[in-house]
Amino acid sequence: MVGDFFAAVGDVLSNEVTYSSGWRLAVALGFVAVGEWIAERAGTINVSVEGAMLGGAFAAGIGYDASGSVSVGLLVGAAVGLLVGAVQAHFSHNLTADQFVVGLTLNILVLGLASFLNSSLKPETATAHVFEVPGLVEIPLLGPALFGQPWPLYLLYPLVPLAWWLVYRTRWGLEVRAVGENPQAADVSSIDVNARRRQAVYIAGITSGLGGGYLLLGQVGWYEDSIVGGQGFIAIAAVIFGGWTLRGAMFGCLLFGSANSFRLSLPGVGHPLNSELLSSLPFVLTICVMALFAHRTREPQSLARPFIRGLR
Amino acid sequence: MTAPAAAELRGITKRFGAVVACDGVDVALRRGEIHGILGENGAGKSTLMKVLIGLVLPDAGTIGIDGEACRIRDPAEAAERGIGMVHQHFSLVEPLTVWENVILGEPIRLDAAAARRRVQEISERYGLAIDPDERISDLSAGLRQRVEIIKCLRRDPAIVILDEPTSVLTPGESEQLFAVLRRVVETENKAVALVSHKLDEVLAATDRITIMRAGAVVDHRPTAEADAPGLARAMVGRPVSLRSEAAAVGFIEALSEEPAGAEGTAATQAAPAPVLSIRGATARGRDGRLLLDGLSLEVYPGEIVGVAGVEGNGQAPLSDLLSSLLPLDGGSVRVDDAAPAPGRPGAMAAAGVAVVPADRHESGCVLDMSVAENLTLVSPPRSRLGRAVIDRTARQERAEQLIAQFGIHTSGPDAPMWSLSGGNQQRVVLARELSGDPAVLVAAQPTRGLDVGAIEYISERLREAARDGVGVLLISTELEEVLDLADRIAVIFRGRIIGEMDRADVDVERLGLLMSGAQEEAS
Amino acid sequence: MTAVDAAAGTGDMRYDRAREGATVLGIYVASIAVALLVAALVLWATGGSWTTVLSALLDGSLRRPGRWGDTIGEAIPLLLVALGTIVNSKAGLVNIGQEGQLFVGAALATYVATHIGISGPFVLLLMMLAGVVGGAVWAGIASVLRYQRRIPEVLTTLLLVFVAAQAVGYGLKNTDLLLDPTPDTGNRNLISDQLDTATRLPRVSWFGNEFPVSAFVALVLAILVALALAWTVVGFRLQMLGQGPRTAHRAGVSESRYGGLALVVSGAFCGLAGAFMFAGGDFGNYRLTPGFPVNIGWEGLLVALVARSHPLVAIPAAFVFAALRTGSGFLAATGVDRDITRVVQALLVLALLVPPAVLFVRDRRRALAAARDRV
Repeated sequence: MVGDFFAAVGDVLSNEVTYSSGWRLAVALGFVAVGEWIAERAGTINVSVEGAMLGGAFAAGIGYDASGSVSVGLLVGAAVGLLVGAVQAHFSHNLTADQFVVGLTLNILVLGLASFLNSSLKPETATAHVFEVPGLVEIPLLGPALFGQPWPLYLLYPLVPLAWWLVYRTRWGLEVRAVGENPQAADVSSIDVNARRRQAVYIAGITSGLGGGYLLLGQVGWYEDSIVGGQGFIAIAAVIFGGWTLRGAMFGCLLFGSANSFRLSLPGVGHPLNSELLSSLPFVLTICVMALFAHRTREPQSLARPFIRGLR
Repeated sequence: MTAPAAAELRGITKRFGAVVACDGVDVALRRGEIHGILGENGAGKSTLMKVLIGLVLPDAGTIGIDGEACRIRDPAEAAERGIGMVHQHFSLVEPLTVWENVILGEPIRLDAAAARRRVQEISERYGLAIDPDERISDLSAGLRQRVEIIKCLRRDPAIVILDEPTSVLTPGESEQLFAVLRRVVETENKAVALVSHKLDEVLAATDRITIMRAGAVVDHRPTAEADAPGLARAMVGRPVSLRSEAAAVGFIEALSEEPAGAEGTAATQAAPAPVLSIRGATARGRDGRLLLDGLSLEVYPGEIVGVAGVEGNGQAPLSDLLSSLLPLDGGSVRVDDAAPAPGRPGAMAAAGVAVVPADRHESGCVLDMSVAENLTLVSPPRSRLGRAVIDRTARQERAEQLIAQFGIHTSGPDAPMWSLSGGNQQRVVLARELSGDPAVLVAAQPTRGLDVGAIEYISERLREAARDGVGVLLISTELEEVLDLADRIAVIFRGRIIGEMDRADVDVERLGLLMSGAQEEAS
Repeated sequence: MTAVDAAAGTGDMRYDRAREGATVLGIYVASIAVALLVAALVLWATGGSWTTVLSALLDGSLRRPGRWGDTIGEAIPLLLVALGTIVNSKAGLVNIGQEGQLFVGAALATYVATHIGISGPFVLLLMMLAGVVGGAVWAGIASVLRYQRRIPEVLTTLLLVFVAAQAVGYGLKNTDLLLDPTPDTGNRNLISDQLDTATRLPRVSWFGNEFPVSAFVALVLAILVALALAWTVVGFRLQMLGQGPRTAHRAGVSESRYGGLALVVSGAFCGLAGAFMFAGGDFGNYRLTPGFPVNIGWEGLLVALVARSHPLVAIPAAFVFAALRTGSGFLAATGVDRDITRVVQALLVLALLVPPAVLFVRDRRRALAAARDRV
């Protein structure tokens, strides 16, 4: 048994395809996680990223079908993601309804809407063309994974440093961090707390929609209701797993994405391994990490707490 | 006097429902002056200042800045007009650094180097030494206030408002603060408004005083022409006769001359064993900070022990300890013959420790429950059907009885707790705690935020409890309150009791030195 | 001190019940109207007819013969999940992992039923117990992590949903655990053995409407929960913990004991719902499958929310949600995709979220203005 297992691991690890697919899956999570990270720094656990991702994927399909252009598809996807984010933001940071309930309901709504519309619209889609970065793609094993992919994947590369710069190097980012830690103090310093939180959730919506669009047009190629299948939740887990740092969150995405690709490629190399174990790995690992490092990681102090002026 | 006032408020009126917080108030803040706004709690002085910085919109009245009439709708607008406020609480974000906090909320591009330089510059100009890269969470209360002041001065306001700035400071730190304010006024020709209910500090630090009572200005005069008894009279509205009232307006001199009541001391000597004894209590917070550092304290039946000290020196942890909210890392607590386990839910209450906590909304009552439920939180009356079932009729009866006995103003036992005024909520807490026949009564800041009538009532109840043989522990940052009520005074500093004295032997100056930890450093 | 510029009340605030009632009703009507309007727009955009959809929904849930029974069958687990959710939210805890707790409860009940080797009412009782234990254990993990390691139960309950799905999925691949071992069922995969007829929940028939007896259990439990919250010391203490944890601690309410209990009880209700679903016949034809919970857990949470945590209000709320589910089955005939009911349902929930939130903010502002030490 154990020998089989290591043989399987060895086969998978020596295969370029594993890296390519692992990277692709990690990137899909990364789009969502990068926005979710900002939202959580501002104090929202934005459960509706799952819905935003699905909505983004479906809308990207419609956009591509209508225009024949991947760029247009991605744009439409991001716009629908923003729309989902906007509903979440206004319900949870204007009306101050419970953000989890809003998020879960939105997920049901988007899933229902997407499959309802899919039954009558059925978008025709295809994957974007592969763009190989000259030179870099020659790097053994990792080259094709990092630099020989469908072009929408590369959108994440500038997005990550951009998010870092936004949060740590701009006034807006400073205010976002303040709002996530101590909204009362931010309020007294004449920052519109709920506006910052809403904006952070918009961003999470946009990147999730983009992530959905990438999933459809850069990875899968056709729409189905299960296309997202909990990847939004995995991205949330990655942000928590990463201890609310961008680096940690991205590492989480890489780890969880690799686990997923591992699960998918095992049958291919002829080694049946417990795929349920690998599927639940992101969630189990995140719970374990929280349990083990609960005292060391510093979550935003006001995470998941609504802010109502005059109410502590 | 020919130049227009830096800020002139005319006929400011603000109502909250039926309560008139400000009623046609006129105040003028002038450049080069520290202007004291004096009044007891609830006199309307904070509301007035909130009008000036745009946190409260007045129902009527005009504001003139440098002679120009304007409307101030929010704090940002006030900042544009050159009005800055030094906030007391809630304004600093702990995990951020000093410089990040200082520039927080400013409509400028983020430039770390420039911000650091600016912080340094301000701290040098006013003698407010601070490291711009320090995290707020690592700073003491005094240093945090320094950051607040820098944050206010950074925008170079023409008018600086300070609301009760000394409540977190030692007397020494307060004097430093006033020296800084003096510099601000004299070298930069700014106008400073100092809001306070402490008569002596207003007398010591200001140039001009406006006295408010019940939402209206009752008097204003240059400080040089003011004297303490006159100001106290103006604040309260009649000659100050009751000692607790004198305490309420911060009139120490009226108290120092009087000897302590005799009955408490007699009780102390008669009682052989302490009813509450804390030995070497040590506790650390979750962040590892020392909350209590070997605190030892005894309370005998029938006496009132006052714990005096500057806020943030372990008063809250001490109160939490006796509310079973704080487990100890070392030391012990004994109540009568029992040794309740610190931190175990309900242990202290079961051992006979009643608590009127400072944060009554958090740990004194449940706002969303009814008055009757709040009056019977600890042990609701059980039904004959079984001990698990509540006897709602009995609860109702008991509530009605307590409401009558403690004179609680409410529409009935079923009224939600939040519909009561602060004073009546405090009565509910007191009624519940005293009705349980406690051995010890802990009262933490029992009169904070209450009006004079309520203060007098609470004080009288504490005295009465002591007369009935309860050991009363009064934890208060209001020195006057402690001097007024206590038979014995213990000074708390950095989580330990660093000195005790009988009320009769109190020397206010020595007390002040102790509160600033002077004793400890000398030894 | 905080700024409150809203109209502040005074100590002797009076309630004008009629006006208050009208305001609340008005807000509800308005937001539900908006939700229905949006749903109608979606329908209109895809060429569907509003009236045929409504008519089909009513046919499927109430009008056609026997449909009341089906609706009641779906309402049972929704109500049970909602009751559990009410218990934990009264204690101030947020459990959003009902779907997983329900699944684990159902799986454990299935395991017991298919492995015990005997059948009959006794096994039925054992199954219910297994369901309760399964749900309670799954919520218990979150409870332990909450009180031992201070991990927010919101996160753990949510993450455990996905772990539960994978765990049961694993079970459904192994004949030792849940997979149907009968060889003659062909290449059946991921499905459990069918529950023995002798072990099934009895079904009653009223006026041609058939539903399992678990309906009565759920109703009795709803009344019991309502009574326990209003009349017992434990219920009182739970609510004290939810509304004022520090006060509760001082008054002797152990956070870990009562809070932990609330979370476990909540899980137990979900587990029982799962067991009833398996043994009741309205779900999965007495077989466990990977998609067995069919969103009952999520929707039960929404039922509790819509009922504003009142156990008795949860009864009609659960019925309405169930009616939407059963009604959707009749949509296929109209040519409208049945997913429209999910859209309607979610829109309704969003609409029902608005009034309490608006009222909450208003009430708390008033409360603070009144309770706040006067400025």
